Amino acid sequence: MNAPIRALLSLAGFVLLWWGAVWGFSIPAFLLPSPGAVIDRLVFLAINAELWRHTTTTLGQILGGFVIGALLGIGTGAAFARLPRLERLFTPVILLVQTAPKIAIAPLLILWLGLGPGPKIVLVAIVTFFPAMTGALTGFRYIAKAYRDLAQIVGLTTWQRLTRIDLPFAVPPIVAGLRVATTQAVTAAVVAEMMGANRGLGYLLTAGQESSDSPAVIGVIVILSLTGWGFYELVRFAEAKLIPWRSKA
Amino acid sequence: MITIEAVSKRFAGPKGEPVDALTPVDLTIPAGQFLSIVGPSGCGKSTLLRIIAGLETPSDGKLTIAATGVARPIGFVFQEPVLLPWLSTLANIRFPLDTGGVPRAEADATAHRLIKMVGLQGFEDALPHQLSGGMRQRAAIARALSYDPPILLMDEPFGALDLLTRDRMNDELLQIWRATKKTIVFVTHSVEEAAYLSDRVVVMSARPGRVRAIHDVDLPHPRGEATKLDPRFHQFMATFRRELK
Ligand SMILES: Nc1ncnc2c1ncn2[C@@H]1O[C@H](COP(=O)(O)OP(=O)(O)OP(=O)(O)O)[C@@H](O)[C@H]1O
Ligand SMILES: [Mg+2]
Repeated sequence: MNAPIRALLSLAGFVLLWWGAVWGFSIPAFLLPSPGAVIDRLVFLAINAELWRHTTTTLGQILGGFVIGALLGIGTGAAFARLPRLERLFTPVILLVQTAPKIAIAPLLILWLGLGPGPKIVLVAIVTFFPAMTGALTGFRYIAKAYRDLAQIVGLTTWQRLTRIDLPFAVPPIVAGLRVATTQAVTAAVVAEMMGANRGLGYLLTAGQESSDSPAVIGVIVILSLTGWGFYELVRFAEAKLIPWRSKA
Repeated sequence: MITIEAVSKRFAGPKGEPVDALTPVDLTIPAGQFLSIVGPSGCGKSTLLRIIAGLETPSDGKLTIAATGVARPIGFVFQEPVLLPWLSTLANIRFPLDTGGVPRAEADATAHRLIKMVGLQGFEDALPHQLSGGMRQRAAIARALSYDPPILLMDEPFGALDLLTRDRMNDELLQIWRATKKTIVFVTHSVEEAAYLSDRVVVMSARPGRVRAIHDVDLPHPRGEATKLDPRFHQFMATFRRELK
């Protein structure tokens, strides 16, 4: 049985259980609506409340923040690997920002940057930055000595060593870091939206909560889960393409 | 020519205490000579080879390498293959040529010729993890030969090969050596290999690493099946074996 079919069957089973529970225990709809009610609600939101626009808003913020955070993180990690003194200088600050709960940073960002996409993108970039940086630092720092010897013997220039040996070796830990970052990026975007926004899936969640609209809340959660999952699979796909010698080994 | 004068190497051991990997060694290797080094594990064979390659600086003594007018005088076959895991066999062998600015067509022709020589036809496009250990080692040998360095340093290059392939690679190596007049320094655990291939054999002993004896192996060239029947060949092997104890 291949992976997509297995995933589909597993999901179908889950929905069936959900249906059975709502039916069998007669759970009131305002606590746990049936899957059908959730779908109805999503269709309604799609037609009347620009669900699609809220979704693309959130997706755009996740993607934008992710790319910015990843690039900055990889660059910083690479620089730190080359200049340990720079790393020692910045590590305390970075640790401080990293250990601060991201939810606690969100209100500050909103105060500074307003209700637009700015604070969301920044928060997503922050949570993406750390795993990307750690991955790049590991990848660039711990290249087996034997490969440095090889570079010296065949007379590589510094640039050649960086692009032909160091960078390819750093790809696996970087991608591993980015894989971790995907789920955190989705969470960060939604958290920032819930704290202050006038559009986006996080805004829909808050609005749904305030109007006790549990089918809408659950529907948005489902969309967010699917988004996170798809994002994760995308990075895994990139991993398999970029690192064929790992995925098959 | 490689001149080694009173070269020694001291490492820091696991507890920071000094470890004499190599007590002062004197050795002159004339250009074009095939020299083998045999010795027990840990006697400093790799260390000596790495010092010659410039990968390790001697703690004391002087190393001179006269290889005039060559950009990359040294080819090194490491004890491990050290292939780049994302490159095909062909691209790995071509790697020094690509980075050295050799035109693509020329590099390809050289790489294909070497692939045939080390018997890896049909595996040009395979990634290293799809090759066996012995195949990887042969690819590494082809890579070291690709840019035709005048000095070839080989650290137990055939240790991972079966006897038949090993014999064949020995003969290929002798043929390359005859054709190109390279200086070859060859580390091995096999006294038979040392006697069969070399002009000169250095026997080392361990703790501390030092040169125990040096022998001129004046068996006639070219070497082949007849060499292995020569009683003097067996005398050399017996001598080396005795000195290794
Ligand atoms: N980088 C290093 N740091 C500390 N000690 C080292 C280092 N490299 C080698 N040594 C020590 O130097 C000694 C000689 O090592 P070397 O690798 O030259 O041995 P070898 O003769 O090549 O052995 P083998 O046949 O097992 O490959 C050993 O005792 C080893 O522990
Ligand atoms: Mg060794």
